[in-house]
Amino acid sequence: MNVNKMIRSARQGRLSRRDFTRTLLAAGIVPVMSSPFPRRAMASDNGHATVFTWGGFDVPELYQDYIDTHGDMPDFAIFGAPEDGLTRLRSGFVTDLIHPCMGDIPRWRSTGLFQPIDISRLSNWPDVIPSLYDAPHNLEEAEGGVWQVPFDWGQTSITYRTDLYDLEGEESWDILWDERYAGRIGMLATGDDAWWCAAIKAGVPFDEIHTDDAFEAIAAVLREQRPLVRTYTDDTSSLNQALAAGEMVAAMTWNSSAVELTFEDVPVRFAQPKEGALTWVCGFMLHKDAPSPDRAYDALDALLSVSAGEFLTGDYGYGHANARVLDLFDDEDLAALTLSRDPMDILDAGHRSIPQPPEWSSRMNTLYEQIKAGF
Amino acid sequence: MALTQSSDGLGAQGARRGTPSSRRLFARFENLRGLALLAPTLVILGVTVVVPFALMSAMSFWSQIGFDYTDDWSVGNYATILSEPLYTTLLLRSLGMAMAATLLTVVLAYPMAYFLAFHVHRNKLVWLIIITLPFWTSYLLRVFAWRVILGYEGVINSGLMELGLIAEPLQALLYSRTAVIITLAHAWAAFALLPIYVSLEKIDKSVLEASADLGEGPVMRFFRVILPLSMPGVIAGTFLMFIPTVGDYVTPALVGGPNAQMIGNLVQLQFGTVNNWPMGAALAITMILAITLVGLIFLGLMWALRRWAR
Repeated sequence: MNVNKMIRSARQGRLSRRDFTRTLLAAGIVPVMSSPFPRRAMASDNGHATVFTWGGFDVPELYQDYIDTHGDMPDFAIFGAPEDGLTRLRSGFVTDLIHPCMGDIPRWRSTGLFQPIDISRLSNWPDVIPSLYDAPHNLEEAEGGVWQVPFDWGQTSITYRTDLYDLEGEESWDILWDERYAGRIGMLATGDDAWWCAAIKAGVPFDEIHTDDAFEAIAAVLREQRPLVRTYTDDTSSLNQALAAGEMVAAMTWNSSAVELTFEDVPVRFAQPKEGALTWVCGFMLHKDAPSPDRAYDALDALLSVSAGEFLTGDYGYGHANARVLDLFDDEDLAALTLSRDPMDILDAGHRSIPQPPEWSSRMNTLYEQIKAGF
Repeated sequence: MALTQSSDGLGAQGARRGTPSSRRLFARFENLRGLALLAPTLVILGVTVVVPFALMSAMSFWSQIGFDYTDDWSVGNYATILSEPLYTTLLLRSLGMAMAATLLTVVLAYPMAYFLAFHVHRNKLVWLIIITLPFWTSYLLRVFAWRVILGYEGVINSGLMELGLIAEPLQALLYSRTAVIITLAHAWAAFALLPIYVSLEKIDKSVLEASADLGEGPVMRFFRVILPLSMPGVIAGTFLMFIPTVGDYVTPALVGGPNAQMIGNLVQLQFGTVNNWPMGAALAITMILAITLVGLIFLGLMWALRRWAR
């Protein structure tokens, strides 16, 4: 933890509670220590929709339309990783909306916990970029709607310090496997990102990722990398601070880390590895027993609005589902954010994860945990 | 015999006054009175400890298939735990780290408790409050405080660099087993301190005077009188500290790096991302058994030590 930065931000009055909770969330502490039930009671008391999402997506800028209509933000519950969120939903926690990614849809649908979303109730739907939701597993049996409304898209890649990391040749995944910087590499703790990125590094095609050979090849590269890793975490605040302090020279991150660090004048770059980055689309699904479905639709509509998109892209550096958001940025800005006017330019240039069954997910996570622990 | 007589007598009295039969029952059977007094606690214990424990034990013999469990009973989870080096290593590491933290705490807490019990005569309450003040803050905040102290640009590193003792921040402070042990020792110190203090406080001062009268020096007096008399507090403190720290997962998650993860982290993962609840249950049960075993060994050692000391 960067003490100077903490003191500085405390002085500026923005030692953010969010940073603090985000760290706890990423460590899986808040979900375990907080009971879901008070939340539920609250949600039904005030009638607000409850949104179950990642830390950082619980800010008023993303819900302006909802606030204008209902006077206040929706309620939030926060997960460190979507799989933890699903575990809580399966054990009886009910929220209106939850925020997984595209590749999760078939597996999540198979739990029977979700209902299709009626797109005719979303005023911003006509502006949503079709290629972001147009996938068979998102449309089939959805009664003309979708299972998941796309919201954010981007890449999982490497953020590295341009002043501390001595790049030889092209940007590549080898940065995270560079033995010259042993002990100064950061990794994401969720297999949902790390495993797929390691597959790219190992040269395993994604359509073969379920084979035993693939498991072996990917495990081998992750084991090779482990001695170099300072820490495995899902806490982007920790990674950002470590990169800002020079404790780490490179880390596996999402777009937002590089953008936030650039705002703080830390010399970093969000690498475009020659093997291709991991690209993703995430969005919101609706619980089948959503207690406040009407307000959930209002919250969804607010999330899809241009103003929410402007914030998501401008401040966090993620792509947004609304096509009109892209008109607000010129090509240069978009290129600097490693985004593009046509999301498919970015999404198809990288590798997108392919939906996998729960058995695969369990096996992958078990193995990744073993590797992280040194076996 | 005397007991039976007296309760008979009470029963007869009760009958004479025409009290309800339940009171007569209570009067007759002392055990029943005790049970009735314990009933609320027993109900709460049953609902919040025994039932979940039984469920967890049962679940540990199931296995996970996708999002469902099969409930054909098998010891597969336990076989995996015993055969895979990951689980045994993490279990042994957790026991070792908890032992180190407990030892550190007891050794550090004893002098504090001693001072408080024998050398503070006025405003004891104020002293107690001051010593336990850190524990008025949240456990998580204490762990975070250690991140700030041990961090790369943390208090220790900035201090040492300011003094010119090191040129580069020390990487080894945070994300290490030492960091976890230090944090645990600090975060749980009150649990060791208070029982030791109470047992020291209870020692009859005239016993100390007697030992001095009989010609015992201060050092021998400590080892032959004070330490044995305060052993119950030391043992209680050791258990209060050791048992919860073995399964702690917050501290290793926040200040331990890849090499300092503990069994609690693994249990949490089974119930979260890994999504294998039966395995998580089996791990938790194994952990409880291991703690019990270590506890029994410790008690046995203490018992042997006392016999030897006599």
